[in-house]
Amino acid sequence: MMTEVCHKLHTLLEGKVPELIPTDHLADTDERRLAQLLNELFAYLQEVQEFILPLSQGTLDKIQPPRPRNFLGSPFKELHSRLLHLTWQANQVAQGDYSQRIDFMGDFSEAFNCMINSLDRHERELRGRISELQEALDRITQLEGILPICMSCKRIRLEDTDPRQQANWVAVESYISKRTKAMFSHGLCPECVERYRAENF
Amino acid sequence: MSVEQDKTRFTWQNLGDVNLGRPNLGPMVPVTVYRLMQFTLWDVLVAELGNEQANDIMVKAGKLAGTEFCRTMLNTSLPFNEFIAQLQRVLREQSIGILRLERADLETLQFTLTVAEDLDCSGLPCTDEVVCRYDEGFIAGLLELYTGKPFSVKEIDCWASGDRVCRFSAQGIRD
Repeated sequence: MMTEVCHKLHTLLEGKVPELIPTDHLADTDERRLAQLLNELFAYLQEVQEFILPLSQGTLDKIQPPRPRNFLGSPFKELHSRLLHLTWQANQVAQGDYSQRIDFMGDFSEAFNCMINSLDRHERELRGRISELQEALDRITQLEGILPICMSCKRIRLEDTDPRQQANWVAVESYISKRTKAMFSHGLCPECVERYRAENF
Repeated sequence: MSVEQDKTRFTWQNLGDVNLGRPNLGPMVPVTVYRLMQFTLWDVLVAELGNEQANDIMVKAGKLAGTEFCRTMLNTSLPFNEFIAQLQRVLREQSIGILRLERADLETLQFTLTVAEDLDCSGLPCTDEVVCRYDEGFIAGLLELYTGKPFSVKEIDCWASGDRVCRFSAQGIRD
């Protein structure tokens, strides 16, 4: 019996789960009890191995978890549960849901939550930029096309308004300032300076 | 709440103003005290009514609690994902447990979730049985109020059966 037990344990230490020890022929009660306990241990380890190997390769579905009361396997069940949760959360984030957070999973939590915050911040920044660019594009579009301008005083008529109403004609500076970020500073060009002098002095 | 009152007459106001009533001791009690109340009550129910009926009462009580908790503490108008994020946060803030959703199928109304460090069973000695009947009802109550559909919730792994994690399977019943 002892030789067989040593052989089985040696197999176990080599990373393999040994065959069960036949108990029928064991007359000694203690030996039979020892064999039964070892068989139980082997069965537990078999379950753990069949569960953890596919899990280590990333398989989360369709794997058989160790039975209840298999205490050797319960930490792996806990790990399996957490990996499933992480996968669900990652899928939600992939769909643009940044409200998810991982709680109490040590380094995983910190890295994952940091990633979500970062994605959320970058997306907000991008949306802000897009909005600014859209506004700029809108302004550019507003200055496109044919502007109705008074050939004498150079006032511009507001879009889609009655040309007979004087209030609908505004100064070029006013027109452009309201549609762009451009501002005007006033001065005189050389030709106008001469004309101004001639008219006023 | 008086003993004559039917359970369906429970309202959140029945819980009273804890801050007013316990200005020095505050609103928190040790988990042991919570378990002492629940397990002794359950023990008496089993002794008086048998296992099946006692378990059924615990599930129903949990469902009532889950429904009222959801009605009072949660915003049920949120989309599903945001509702789950909110539920996870509130359960953590209230020190009820750490919710982790593993699977959710809104078409078939099938959900798998775990509650770690839960009030009922985390750290219990192994008894070869699932014991979170109250939690089963609590989760069913939450989901029923949120979805408007009846739910059947079963605990499939439990700390008390040596699993180190309490995992629940929830199945909604469509009209």
